[in-house]
Amino acid sequence: MKRKLSVLLIVAMLVTMLGSCGTASNNKGGKNNSKSSGNALTVWCWDKNFNIYAMNEAAKIYQKDHPDFKLNVVETPWDDVQTKLTTAVTSGQTGTLPDILLMQDNALAKNITNYPKTFVDLTNSGIDFSKFAQYKVALSTVNSKVYGVPFDSGTAVTALRTDVLQKAGYTINDFKNITWSRFIEIAKDVLKKTNIPLLSSQAGSPDLVMMMLQSAGTWTFKGDKLYISDNPALLKAIDVYVELVKSKVLVEVNNWDQYVGTFNTGKVAGAMTGCWILASVQANKDQKGKWAVTNIPKLDGIENATNYSSVGGSSWLVLSTSKNKDLAIDFLGKTFAGSTELYNTILPTSSAIATWGPAGTGSNYEIAHEFFEGQKIFQDIVEYGKNVPKVSYGVYNYEARDAIGTAITKIISGTDKAAALKEAESTVKFQMGK
Amino acid sequence: MTKRRIGIAVEYIVLTIVSVISLFPLFWMLMSATNKSTDVLAGRILPGQKLIENMGNLLKTANVGQAMMNSFKYSVLTTVGSVLICSIAGYAFEVYYTKSKNMVFNLLLISMMIPFAATMIPLYTLFGKLNLLNKTLGFALPSLSTVLLIFLFRQSAQSFPKSIIESARLDGAGELRIFLEFFVPITKHTFTAGITVAFMSNWNNYLWPLIIMQSPTSRTMPQLISGLTSGYVTDYGMLMLAVSISILPTVVVFLILQKNFVEGITGAVK
Amino acid sequence: MNARFKTKFKLSTIGWIFILPATLLLLLTKFWPIIRALVLSFQSGVGLNTSFVGAKNYIRMLHDNLLHTSIFNTFFYLLLQVPIMLIIAIILAVILNDSRLKLKGFFRTAIFLPCATSLVSYAIIFRSLFARDGFINLILMKTNIINNPINWLSSPWPARIVIIIALTWRWTGYNMIFYLAGLQSIDPSIYEAAKIDGASAFTSLRKITIPLLKPMILLTSITSISGTLQLFDETKNLTNGGPANSTISISQYIYNLSFAYSPQFGYAAAVSFLVLIMVAILSFTQMKVGDRR
Repeated sequence: MKRKLSVLLIVAMLVTMLGSCGTASNNKGGKNNSKSSGNALTVWCWDKNFNIYAMNEAAKIYQKDHPDFKLNVVETPWDDVQTKLTTAVTSGQTGTLPDILLMQDNALAKNITNYPKTFVDLTNSGIDFSKFAQYKVALSTVNSKVYGVPFDSGTAVTALRTDVLQKAGYTINDFKNITWSRFIEIAKDVLKKTNIPLLSSQAGSPDLVMMMLQSAGTWTFKGDKLYISDNPALLKAIDVYVELVKSKVLVEVNNWDQYVGTFNTGKVAGAMTGCWILASVQANKDQKGKWAVTNIPKLDGIENATNYSSVGGSSWLVLSTSKNKDLAIDFLGKTFAGSTELYNTILPTSSAIATWGPAGTGSNYEIAHEFFEGQKIFQDIVEYGKNVPKVSYGVYNYEARDAIGTAITKIISGTDKAAALKEAESTVKFQMGK
Repeated sequence: MTKRRIGIAVEYIVLTIVSVISLFPLFWMLMSATNKSTDVLAGRILPGQKLIENMGNLLKTANVGQAMMNSFKYSVLTTVGSVLICSIAGYAFEVYYTKSKNMVFNLLLISMMIPFAATMIPLYTLFGKLNLLNKTLGFALPSLSTVLLIFLFRQSAQSFPKSIIESARLDGAGELRIFLEFFVPITKHTFTAGITVAFMSNWNNYLWPLIIMQSPTSRTMPQLISGLTSGYVTDYGMLMLAVSISILPTVVVFLILQKNFVEGITGAVK
Repeated sequence: MNARFKTKFKLSTIGWIFILPATLLLLLTKFWPIIRALVLSFQSGVGLNTSFVGAKNYIRMLHDNLLHTSIFNTFFYLLLQVPIMLIIAIILAVILNDSRLKLKGFFRTAIFLPCATSLVSYAIIFRSLFARDGFINLILMKTNIINNPINWLSSPWPARIVIIIALTWRWTGYNMIFYLAGLQSIDPSIYEAAKIDGASAFTSLRKITIPLLKPMILLTSITSISGTLQLFDETKNLTNGGPANSTISISQYIYNLSFAYSPQFGYAAAVSFLVLIMVAILSFTQMKVGDRR
């Protein structure tokens, strides 16, 4: 009897919970639903200290002229943004989509091309795209239509420990506007004199090689065609990478946290990737005043090689299912595409560097950064951004990246370069359905 | 006598070694929660002074209370529901065995053999049409019946002495009563196992809660933790703290229930 | 005669009623999506542009090198890790069932804890342990088992071994729980009788425990087979499928096909069905061999 009663009670409790929870979240669902009305916008993005912070500051600025404006930021990691976007569009449940979402630049071409009617064409929306670093605009441009408002800069930098360089008799200027062969030369010397490698990278990550590709204005695709085995810049970039590893000037580690750990703990004396790495570089307060930043080396003997490139970065897209398209466009136009104040405000705490030209005039951009020996790094990086070559990442970007990463790992373990690249090519061709 | 002593000693040694191996990474995790991020990355195992600071940062960064409450609410709901529904089903597949029921069982068995990624979007589409998106019912439904639990209780019923059922029937007891008053108490150990693994699996469920719930206030603990690693900079001390907090409920559930492993069938039958 | 038949029929009906809620739920939440996925597996295309192509996806799988690698990896884990894990789990469960032991609660909890851990944290710790200058290499070198540090996660075979170690560490306790439950229903007097007859501990294990644990062994085998063939978390978080795809699992590949790469749901569905077929074959073979009936 007692048992039966307790079971009945539990069942009753369950039913009530299900019922009440249903209504409760129903209401909550209604209120905080992605579908917002009138003066509110819903945004999906990640990183409390960076993107979310920037969005909230943008809202504050917009509210000055639009006091009724409300911004609803839903913290969503990038992988989840991709999963939710794909799920919503594939199942037809587009009512769950937000008004604005943030997307990794690497994924722009893929999503815009595969889900053509999902994003709003911003070409003639009134936003002046000419003021942005053109390489960023190119990444969200498909069939001559621009879909994304560029946000955080992935402009590549070489960040180095000046105290370590000094011990070996070098300064940061020895690394400015140089070639890769020169870089390796100096790095070997520094290694010999101080026993500290200059760089580290995640084993299997194609980032460094892809960065070199873009610095020469090329990519793994030429238009729609795969461009791997006969891509001179790629062949050269791989040679450089292999040389970096073999000479022990670059240390390969196994994953992201170890990568950050290498320069935080001083195991390596530098980092070379997108400028967003500077936030991680500053994590170890003991290293204050011991770092400086410059541009990246260029590939020797390659036509159109430059000292500038980009790694990562993201852009804001407006969903065409949004009920407040015009509000979203106006909001983005007045903040991320129109407010020097915004970029100036978010710079100091988040190190979020603008790809919007006029932002460089903000007073904070002139800061002589203490951590970086008083260098005006923000100004420098905005300048670098203006010189980054334009490339198109393509719809099959992730497939190509993975294949190149695999090829690099194989080549380092001794596989013949041509063979590994041929294999990479056939893998990507397979994924492309050819 | 000595042989027995050696036997027991060996048992203790084996258990201690295995326990140390099991606990070491967890111990490291707890220690990391008291250290600052750069120390965690450097591999520091000793405790640090940063626990309060990490806690403060964590609470500032994310709504831990809400996420814990959400996870707790969903986990309790789906665990209780699934154990009820699946225990009686597993019991029935065994006790009321017929060829046709067995065929149904085998059919259901197949449903756990396909990766969730394949069925996720069709399921989501279906629930969209049934208007179950962003509702607790939509959240819970896929977890209320799992093959693992049905299978578990069926196997447990195989070892259950049918004689008890026969005599209870002769005494005039109804079938449901037999289940509730005989099977459940006697197989407490199975319920312990079932509740524990169900709770754990429901607590750690990531993908389905992610896509079915739309509101930021329905974030679960796993989602919160994922948010902590998705930025440019990760505070590893804070992350480990969040993870330590997140495993507490499952541990508590297990601690409470595991006493049921002590009692055997001997007492009950006689 | 008539009365007995009626009762049997009545009982069977009651049985159906008991299994109805669970069955209906599974039909709705699992079966319907599986059928939809099956239909999808006969379609091909990127994103939303899909069209019917018959068995083309299944034929395509024959040429997919990455898929073959993932199948190899996954089966490697299955054949090596599952038996080791289950054997250790049974032994631990049997030891913990010994009534003479003290501190059983502590040991049980300690061994169970790993499976309750969040993957995020334990991945970071494992990667640290198995780093080139990590703890494991330190111990191995100090005890002179190896002379040079092994670069665990950067070489294919060591990386696969790390996955196996991680899986075993995490899931042994989980399976032990099922065996502990199973052992509870074995009457201790059987062991008493065996001891009187002069049986050693090992003989008891072989002739009494294991046969009586058959139901649970079947359960854990099938769920482990199913779980390992659908392995995703560990390979994604510990090694991300690397180095050079040497640890990538089938499920991780399916995930890539659906979400990371240009989405090819038709093909992804076909690969998922391949997994289903493989698990089904292995599981039903086990059932035939191991099921009591």
